[in-house]
Amino acid sequence: MRYKILTVDDSKTVRIIVRKAFKTYDCEILEASNGVEGLAIAAKDSPDLILLDVTMPVMDGVEMLTKLKADAQLKGIPVIMLTAEGGRDNVLKIAKIGVRDYLVKPFKEEALIEKAGRVIDLKPLSEQTTKAKSIFDSADILVVEDKPVIIQQIQDGLKHTPWKIHGVSTQGEALDFCAKTPPDLMLMSLSLPEEGAFTLFRLMRTNVKTKYTPIFALVVKTETLQQQQAQTVGFSALITKPIELSELEAKICKAMNLDTSQRYFTMEPGFLIMRLPENSSPPVLAEVGNYLKPKFSEAVDAGHTRMIIDIHELKNLHMGVIKLLFQTMQTCRELTLQFGLVGNAQIITECKGFEDTRNWTFYDSIDDAKANLGKSTPAAQMAAV
Amino acid sequence: MPAAAEITEPLIREYITRAIADVFKTMLGRVPNFVGATEHTTGDEMSPPGPGTTNGMTPFVVGTVGFLGDVNGLIYLYLDEPFARLCTCQLLGMTDKELEEAGDEVINDAIGELTNMTVGGFKNGLCDAGYPCKLTIPSILRGSNFSIEPISSASRYIYNFESSGHKVSADILLKAGD
Repeated sequence: MRYKILTVDDSKTVRIIVRKAFKTYDCEILEASNGVEGLAIAAKDSPDLILLDVTMPVMDGVEMLTKLKADAQLKGIPVIMLTAEGGRDNVLKIAKIGVRDYLVKPFKEEALIEKAGRVIDLKPLSEQTTKAKSIFDSADILVVEDKPVIIQQIQDGLKHTPWKIHGVSTQGEALDFCAKTPPDLMLMSLSLPEEGAFTLFRLMRTNVKTKYTPIFALVVKTETLQQQQAQTVGFSALITKPIELSELEAKICKAMNLDTSQRYFTMEPGFLIMRLPENSSPPVLAEVGNYLKPKFSEAVDAGHTRMIIDIHELKNLHMGVIKLLFQTMQTCRELTLQFGLVGNAQIITECKGFEDTRNWTFYDSIDDAKANLGKSTPAAQMAAV
Repeated sequence: MPAAAEITEPLIREYITRAIADVFKTMLGRVPNFVGATEHTTGDEMSPPGPGTTNGMTPFVVGTVGFLGDVNGLIYLYLDEPFARLCTCQLLGMTDKELEEAGDEVINDAIGELTNMTVGGFKNGLCDAGYPCKLTIPSILRGSNFSIEPISSASRYIYNFESSGHKVSADILLKAGD
């Protein structure tokens, strides 16, 4: 599945209609029946779009929206209100909190698809690629930017990836490039003269070869008006300058529907190895969490009975990591997989400081874990944690 | 002057007729015809509203949603049971058999939502006319041969519609302002 759409509505009928509307598109529909459930699912699954009702029990849509926009991790998720609460003043009041669009019930499914399609690149199921590409596959990315230094920054920042970053400086060059090689993804600078990016965007969307190509807008962080304009027009994502390259890479992976699980999970003879990177930020942990179930299924299906959880790259321990590790260990127990931890001195010390983690024991290295998991004391102790 | 008193019957009739037409046309592809109206102001007993329902045995599914704010009130939307089933099937793309398996809760939820949309359309008209108010959560009544008695200070308006031989009635109770 490519995009996740969360529908928050106390009416099962509306949730069914939403599911039905998106049935022929390549997206996953998540459901919540009130604001509390909605916030929990938003935090856990990081949806790409939220469809939000207003009048709901427990927590209404206005309160959920306010909390969402106050949360640093969630405030970027676009929200379309889907509600019977219309009336000019109501709509204006809610719009001020920060919504991408507003659809008043009753609504036609086509209107919902049209509005959602302006926020995310909805693709019909028949258009989707049969096999998800991985982060190790090559891809052509076109950067349309009249400042060579920015193109250079992107090329340098992504040189560790297998992606080819092509740079052009004008709308004409971009059109020529796309005619020869339709790119897998495009980045367009909104500072191109005479609103060139918007014209080019519209041309791309009317061309059958680039109709569904993800297109990111490159825009200066403080240019909020241009950012709003880009969102309204339907750019797939905004990349603000100065460019945060890890964020750009994550957004490219998501937009191209790349399988990133190999960053965190590897299968070796007899073992499933999970590796948390040095920067295990909440989005990274959410990504790892999403892969847990399918990767465990794959491992068990392939006959693996042991798992190594490698956290030696982590610089420190925080609640997000601990929660993920507990979830991982619990799944191991349910599947009767033997598991062991590999850490570093800092992490091992920090574990001693928490009530829930002080009994965790570690192997010195992956090789040590491979050689001794199931035979030595640490594994036996871990099973009792 | 109380807000409810300023809202005239023609305005109420216009808003409810438009709301019912919008909801039924958009969600179900059908437009019910307006067939008659009755006004009650003294808390009269009415059992169940709708043309040709006087035998008292017609089973109804009744959705109800309130609105609170500068004007307060409640709307009951009566659908005879076969029509409620038909609307649910159309709304959710289900067959009769699937609906049978899904149970009455699905019908209740669907009629609750249709009522929510209808009352939403009605009260959005009030909002735009300068009477801001908010919707309440829908609830459902089921049965036959029952009556609703409004409190004495409420104004009551009943509008009856017909669609393909089925009856739809909107029973509007407006509370006089404090």
